[in-house]
Amino acid sequence: MDIAEHMLRTGSRGFRDDLARAVDDLSRSVKGLGLSWSLAWHDVVSRYRGSILGPFWITLSMAVMVLGIGFLYAELQNIPLATTLPFVALGIVFWGLISQTVIEGCESFVQASGMLSQTSLPMLTFVWRTVLRNLAALLHHLVIVVGVIAGFGLWRTMDLPLALAGVGLVLVNVSWMCLLTAIISARFRDIPQIVMSIMQFSMFMTPVFWQPGERVGLMDVVLTWNPFFHMLDAIRAPLMGVAPEASTFSILVVMALAGWAVAFGLFTATRRRIVHYL
Amino acid sequence: MSRSAKPPTAPPRPDQAFISVRGLTLRFPVYGYDAKSLKKHLARVAVGGRLDQARHGSTTVTAITGLDLELRAGDRLGLIGHNGSGKTTLLRALSGAYEPDEGQIEVRGKIAPLLDLSLGIDPTATGLENIRLRGRIAGLSARQVEEKLDEIAGFTGLGPFLAMPLKTYSAGMQARLAFAVATAVDADVLLMDEWIAVGDADFQKIAHQRLLGLVERAGILVLASHDLDLIRLYCNKVMRMDAGVGSEVVSIKALDELLARPSVR
Repeated sequence: MDIAEHMLRTGSRGFRDDLARAVDDLSRSVKGLGLSWSLAWHDVVSRYRGSILGPFWITLSMAVMVLGIGFLYAELQNIPLATTLPFVALGIVFWGLISQTVIEGCESFVQASGMLSQTSLPMLTFVWRTVLRNLAALLHHLVIVVGVIAGFGLWRTMDLPLALAGVGLVLVNVSWMCLLTAIISARFRDIPQIVMSIMQFSMFMTPVFWQPGERVGLMDVVLTWNPFFHMLDAIRAPLMGVAPEASTFSILVVMALAGWAVAFGLFTATRRRIVHYL
Repeated sequence: MSRSAKPPTAPPRPDQAFISVRGLTLRFPVYGYDAKSLKKHLARVAVGGRLDQARHGSTTVTAITGLDLELRAGDRLGLIGHNGSGKTTLLRALSGAYEPDEGQIEVRGKIAPLLDLSLGIDPTATGLENIRLRGRIAGLSARQVEEKLDEIAGFTGLGPFLAMPLKTYSAGMQARLAFAVATAVDADVLLMDEWIAVGDADFQKIAHQRLLGLVERAGILVLASHDLDLIRLYCNKVMRMDAGVGSEVVSIKALDELLARPSVR
């Protein structure tokens, strides 16, 4: 009989034991990633049931926003459209990935309360579900990305492997944010509102639409200390054929390690009680 | 866990299944709606413990106290007790959803918690989609679900309605579908909570047959119910719970004697 069919649950035996359990939850959830994907895909399908365009509605509204903002900012900032439009397009698409995952992260456990309170499914399965659902949405929006890459000849200069590495690092980072917001939102129901405000504020503080000018004074502070700038830049800059700042990738790696340490530490400490929060 | 490779040649021998619960105590922190607001939480910190903790902190409900339970393959335990005596909580703990505060729970064998028929059911999805989704949640791989799909679909007797969204179903039809999927898993340990009778008379008859088959295949059954006839029908052992305290496990023959006892409390 294989190990998955043996279950042992005990009272807390201290932090090390709890940590081992949390790691076990993680490894079971990774082995069951297929289930997360099934749930995520089901979410996408059921959210847009009966609509003709389905998730492409979001793609379409993004495209409209890209065009509007692209033209406006090209005019406002006095930059050629050929630079602004791809910049804004990539900015909006990948910002959508980051912010939606973090915002929807809040619901990861709350939505799954039924399953969490009567099955032994690993809890992190539901974090992966949120991340994968947003990845599925991103796949639809790739239409825009491919469009600007082809339309503006970015493929000639872009560094695709680096951009993919950027996507990977961003996913690792949004995952811990997702876990963190999932736990805290289960306990405190005000958190989703706060997270939404933070993400909205960050959208304006991050060069999603506007081109960062010279890094002096306030601009330098805003960019250096804004984690979302580094996340966005790690994907967008290589696609635009620009080398991202030297520090960007190291910042993302450090952020991933530190973020996962904090989020996983909180998960270890609260895992037993999360089901009671719901 | 759904992907865990189980060699098809060696199915788990159900006689190996066992449940061992020792000194299980489960406490639920109840976070009042009061306590769930961050603002109030912060405000409380700011005031610095002047307020009475009992009024504002979380209250703890002890759902199960010091429960011992040993079951071997072939045991079919009926759980009886008043509302709120901890029957469902015990089932959930056995399913692995709740972590014990004290003591331990050990279960060997594949667990099928059939506690809530509506678990993982999406009313806007079609019958077939619901079968797939529910099967995946129950731990079947995508391929296993496809293999079982025809059997499950046949059992529901819903035919062309399976292509329709669940919200167009009558309550009885929904119950048929949910029952068919929930009982499609091969389990060694079956946990059930008071929902056995579903659908119309015809379906109840088939459902009964299927449950008997399932119980026979499963090594262990734990069934919580207020329906003593049901307990007599399915179970060979019985345990009574009173306010979170379990009696010893007795043979079903001693059910009347168990009932006649004064409350443990």
